[in-house]
Amino acid sequence: MKHSRMRLFAPVVIATALVLAGCSTSNLGGTSDADKSGDSGPIKIGAVLDITGVGASLGVPEQNTLQMLADQLKADGGINGRDVELIIVDDQSTEDGAAKATAKLIESDNVDLIIGASRTGPSLAMRPLAEAAEIPLISVAANAAIVDGAKWVFKTTQNDVTVLETILNDAEKKGYTKLALVRDATGFGEGIADYITQLGADRGITLVTTEAFEPSATDFTPQMTNIRSSDADAVIIWGINPAAGLAQKAYVQLGVNKPVYQSHGIANQAFFDAAGPSADGVIAAMGRLLVTEQLDADNPQRPVIEKFQADYSEAFGEQPSTFGGHAFDAWHIAVNAIEKAGTDPNALRDELEQAEFVGISGVYKMTPENHSGLTASALILAEARGGSWTLLKD
Amino acid sequence: MLTDFLQLTVAGLSQGSVYALLAVGLIAVYTVRHIVNIAQGEFAMLAGIGGAWLTAAGMPLILAILVAIFSVILVAIAMERLIIARVKNLTTLFSMIVTLSVSILLQAIMLLVWGPEARGLPRFPGENLLIGGVSIRSQELWMLGALVVVGGGIMLFYEKTRWGKALRACAEQPIAARIVGISPVMASVMAFAIAGFVGAVAGVVSSPIALSLWSGGLLLGLKGFVAAILGGFSSFRAAIVGALLLGVIEAYVAGYVASGLRDGVAFLILILVLTFRTQGLVLKPTAVRV
Repeated sequence: MKHSRMRLFAPVVIATALVLAGCSTSNLGGTSDADKSGDSGPIKIGAVLDITGVGASLGVPEQNTLQMLADQLKADGGINGRDVELIIVDDQSTEDGAAKATAKLIESDNVDLIIGASRTGPSLAMRPLAEAAEIPLISVAANAAIVDGAKWVFKTTQNDVTVLETILNDAEKKGYTKLALVRDATGFGEGIADYITQLGADRGITLVTTEAFEPSATDFTPQMTNIRSSDADAVIIWGINPAAGLAQKAYVQLGVNKPVYQSHGIANQAFFDAAGPSADGVIAAMGRLLVTEQLDADNPQRPVIEKFQADYSEAFGEQPSTFGGHAFDAWHIAVNAIEKAGTDPNALRDELEQAEFVGISGVYKMTPENHSGLTASALILAEARGGSWTLLKD
Repeated sequence: MLTDFLQLTVAGLSQGSVYALLAVGLIAVYTVRHIVNIAQGEFAMLAGIGGAWLTAAGMPLILAILVAIFSVILVAIAMERLIIARVKNLTTLFSMIVTLSVSILLQAIMLLVWGPEARGLPRFPGENLLIGGVSIRSQELWMLGALVVVGGGIMLFYEKTRWGKALRACAEQPIAARIVGISPVMASVMAFAIAGFVGAVAGVVSSPIALSLWSGGLLLGLKGFVAAILGGFSSFRAAIVGALLLGVIEAYVAGYVASGLRDGVAFLILILVLTFRTQGLVLKPTAVRV
């Protein structure tokens, strides 16, 4: 028995060690020989994105968008005659991956500005590094905590609080008083329950139960079973795809039969791929990208979005997702600011604080107090019908 | 309350049947070659992603599934011929290092060929059932059915047929087996083909519900590994029972305790089994132990 125990033990230890080790592969660069960023030489913009791992449905279109825009800018001759070099690093959808990538971009690539990360968790991991190194960072993730009180950090995605306000306003109008929440267990879902409780108090809405899921989860029966037993009038599913789409599918298949709201985290084709016909009837708060043709003709965002859609589908053979839009806005806000202020970090930061831009995800107006720049007007409610989104209100 | 309990049980059993198929694949190889195949989970993902890609390209579901399963069997045989067979003095420990590198290689290939996004096969035909408030998805029945037919079939093959017994003889008495005319090369190839087959079946039946992801195989394979440990890496029956138990316990933990603890359950069980009961769920270890 002793022998067989040893025989089985050693492989297990090795397997466990390898699984843990498999997660970390990136390394910090050594000393840098590049010249410190002055106002000459190429401008370097770094990007840290969730290109592989659970955030891939966000990171891939963001990577495509940035690459496309960088190529366009190169063809146009760069910014004020200076070339722009884009360095994209995959954080593998992990916090430590994002931190390592940020350190590499700052220390060995000497970037002038960083865009990323795709999701809240990795973005929060990048924030202290950018603040310490005094390099402007524009996140493309949602949680308001990313920019809350930050000096060097900005973001383009609509705040989660604004999204919740939009959803709760609709819930109040429809007379729902009890809500259940099924949320992402990582940074994106962090604090959502508290926000619902706070925002719901003014609207006579209470949160009756909260369930969580990992973004890598594939079975949602336990969570949805608990939701089915609750007395909620409606349910908010708060996550990104494919998890949020699979959760939606399990929700319908388990016969929960309550109206569902989803967040702006699902505004891409991957939602319909994962949820299939179960998506029908879902109401989601999102930007205007997926309902462009239903917008008023004089909507200021419409020409910007249509140009982006045309360029993106020509380059990649598919329609862009909301997440590509977040990257589009981050890129243009960055480039506009560098155009005006150059690459001196302090000047660039001050310029970003007063940035104004009509973008894909909304009309931005940054201020020293608001590093997110979007208000509730950036959001619309849309209902999923037959594999696409129908605009409910604007 | 009871409805919830039964609902979680259904989810756990269907998930457990996927673990069970992977455990069957692991044991099928181990009983013949004393190799622990870390790449077992990759067989499942490869079949799921490949099948989903074929259906997306317009191939009918049934044909896509067959092509995917057949391709994965070929991959498994190629793995045996090109890599495993070429390693001299392959100990169990060393086999894990070799198959782990195959696992990483397959992941990299899937990532390069199909990209980082999860893909799923369309749902198999059938109606979802609602029995006494407990919803049973038709796909879950397919998953359980696959375990009964494929997992059970392989088990009977190994335990009852001459061919199956010959395969096991290779592991127990390789020289004697060769003397009586059983080719160890053939036995090894067959073992890997079987592993590829059950892995692929697990992959295609779970893909419509759980989707397939280039990086998803390792964790899935490790759950199968835990189930195989519960079967003492020799008993198909004990491993299948262990896998179903594992799936159900995971579902209860996720439903009643916290969903975040779900993936930890398997490894807690693993530690307990290896510390206190190395024969796992096997009741009469001597009869089948290899």
